[in-house]
Amino acid sequence: MYVKAIPENCSGCMVCEMVCSLKHWNLINRYKAGIRIEKKSVIEDLPHICTHGNECNFECISACKFDAMKKENGIVYVDYEKCTGCKACEKACPLNAVWIHEKKAYKCDLCKGDPACVKFCSQNALVLEV
Amino acid sequence: MEMYGYAGKILTVDLTTGEGIKKVLDEKLASRYLGGDGFGAYFLNKVVNPKIDAFSPDNAIIVAPGLFVGTFVHTAGKTAFFSKSALNNGWNESVMGGRIGLALKQAGYDALIIKGKANKLSYLLIRDGEVSLKSAEHLKGETTRKTAEEIKKDEGDVVVATIGIAGEKLVRFASVDCDERQAGRGGIGAIMGSKNLKAIAIEGKNDIRVAKPEKLYKLMEEWYEKMITHPSFEADGKYGTGEFLEWMNAERGTFPTRNWNEGVFDERKEIDPYYWAPRYAIKNKACVQCVKPCGKAFVAKDIKLDGVEYETLFALGSNCGVANIEHVARANELCDLYGMDTISTGGVIGFIMDLFENGVVSKEEIGMEIKFGDGEAMLELIEKIAHREGIGDILAEGVKKAAEKIGKNATKYAVHVRGMEPPAYDVRGIKGMALAFMTSPRGACHLRSGAYALELTGKFWKFDGVDRLSSKNKGREIAEMENFMAVYDALGVCKFSRGIFLLNFEEILDAVTGRAYKEDELLIIGERICNLKHIFNIKAGWTKEDCKLPEKIHKPIPKGVSKGSYVSEEEEKEMLEDYFNARGWDKNGIPKKEKLKELGIEDMM
Repeated sequence: MYVKAIPENCSGCMVCEMVCSLKHWNLINRYKAGIRIEKKSVIEDLPHICTHGNECNFECISACKFDAMKKENGIVYVDYEKCTGCKACEKACPLNAVWIHEKKAYKCDLCKGDPACVKFCSQNALVLEV
Repeated sequence: MEMYGYAGKILTVDLTTGEGIKKVLDEKLASRYLGGDGFGAYFLNKVVNPKIDAFSPDNAIIVAPGLFVGTFVHTAGKTAFFSKSALNNGWNESVMGGRIGLALKQAGYDALIIKGKANKLSYLLIRDGEVSLKSAEHLKGETTRKTAEEIKKDEGDVVVATIGIAGEKLVRFASVDCDERQAGRGGIGAIMGSKNLKAIAIEGKNDIRVAKPEKLYKLMEEWYEKMITHPSFEADGKYGTGEFLEWMNAERGTFPTRNWNEGVFDERKEIDPYYWAPRYAIKNKACVQCVKPCGKAFVAKDIKLDGVEYETLFALGSNCGVANIEHVARANELCDLYGMDTISTGGVIGFIMDLFENGVVSKEEIGMEIKFGDGEAMLELIEKIAHREGIGDILAEGVKKAAEKIGKNATKYAVHVRGMEPPAYDVRGIKGMALAFMTSPRGACHLRSGAYALELTGKFWKFDGVDRLSSKNKGREIAEMENFMAVYDALGVCKFSRGIFLLNFEEILDAVTGRAYKEDELLIIGERICNLKHIFNIKAGWTKEDCKLPEKIHKPIPKGVSKGSYVSEEEEKEMLEDYFNARGWDKNGIPKKEKLKELGIEDMM
């Protein structure tokens, strides 16, 4: 299961970033979201989000020296007890879908299978692939 | 104590010295003005002497995100820019949907006040909450798009609000661009240019905290359903803000055409989004924080833009008689790149076309033939205006000043109220909007009242049975709509959501700030804001004589369903008196002491 991004549909509203940080951390801050929109040009808005192995080889897990990148039931998530913010995962991710902010890694954890970003994406630029 | 929903500080930057001063946001101030429009109304009155010239270094630019910006409240990502107007030297504000206010808030500030003048072309950088002024000499003359790209290359993940060449050249309707969205009206871009301020770049990484995050999430789930099932979701999503263009022509006959000579544009086929959206729009584009986008990614040959918006379809389409959508779209893109308001640009071009067609100016005098419908000539004129070349130098002054410079009987053709070129509502057949053009604090404007939908459909909010062709009982209607809309601009909510939210913000405000403002409290805040803007104008020299409607509005609409309708000088006078009365102002439009006292702003007059 993963959130599939369809950039051709993305309006660049960044609501996904806001709701992700709100749901996970009870605050709003795109730097603490597990999804980021890259405003590449006036007509290109590119969502970056982890595909949980669908389009990668779990490079973040291999790169982590602190056993902080975990996989459970197909979902890759950060163990904040162990994460040191060393940036190895950020550098390793081929999809640019893990970010370090204030010494913590942020990435999609699929909201236990009911991703908020998908729920609030009115343009169908984010869809849940099962 | 933490103020939920707010960043908690106000930043003042003096471009002359390069210094930034941070002040804690006063809690009482926040509760009296909310944010955005309210902070603009309060601070512009406090920091700018209304009597100075708009291009004086002592003029200020205020950037203020609405209270809901950055809080996930749907369609509430709007940031307002304020300053003395380059067009009429009075109050000006312009609201946009770019991320600059969000970045400002995340950088720690609920408002940014910029004063002074840099000694050379510069950009203001706010990083880690700290201020620095950096040279922008290498960006001189660059487009808004290129400027933003270059600054991002140098500064990394910043949000950039920038001017183009038009702002540098002090074109009086120069705009500010952020994320290809514009604060278009009243020449804020020219004020930036006058301060040698090419751009504002902000890196904001702080958290935005709300009082009750779980409640907010739940509320937004409910409002999301209402948003995406509302008819406007599909209409705006498919065709953008121009969705009702055909209706405005065929069913209302109030789509200003050829410099307000007509109210129906017969050649409208291609500029109607029902024609162009399926052919040129590749996807929707949204303001930040919006789940109900109305923008379009428009792509054609060498054209790429976020548009074409309803007002622009009028301004650079029907008002210039231009029927070719690619000409209109390219003109829109050029305005965005050079940083010019499309409404005023179309206003001055329609004006000079009208003068040319009526023999008031000749080819020899203006250096070119410029007839209605000539899209290529329109594009050429946009270049000339942005660079202030030839006739473009005169048109860059705006319709009012240009007419005065051209002389002869040019003022007869000049369509403006208080120096501002009007938007796409032929008010001869929408009389409440004629009044709104007169009373808007920035000159002819549809957004301070947002009353066009009410007038055109007959009902909205508490109003029903409104007759657009009558001038009766418009005073209270426009005053109350202005108060209503001021609340939207203070909260940062998009006006295209007004039919969905109305003023039902009590629970949302409780979730965001911890204080549940009721509708009547919000309306008092709105009224306070409207009065403060008016006070600024009075101090700047405003008199009721300035509010006059253009001559063309006194002549009947020649054809279409509104044929024969016009606003007489008598009606104009009556409506204005009715409005003053509804506002609690005297017959000259000066707020009475009791009113100011009631609003708690007697010390501001």
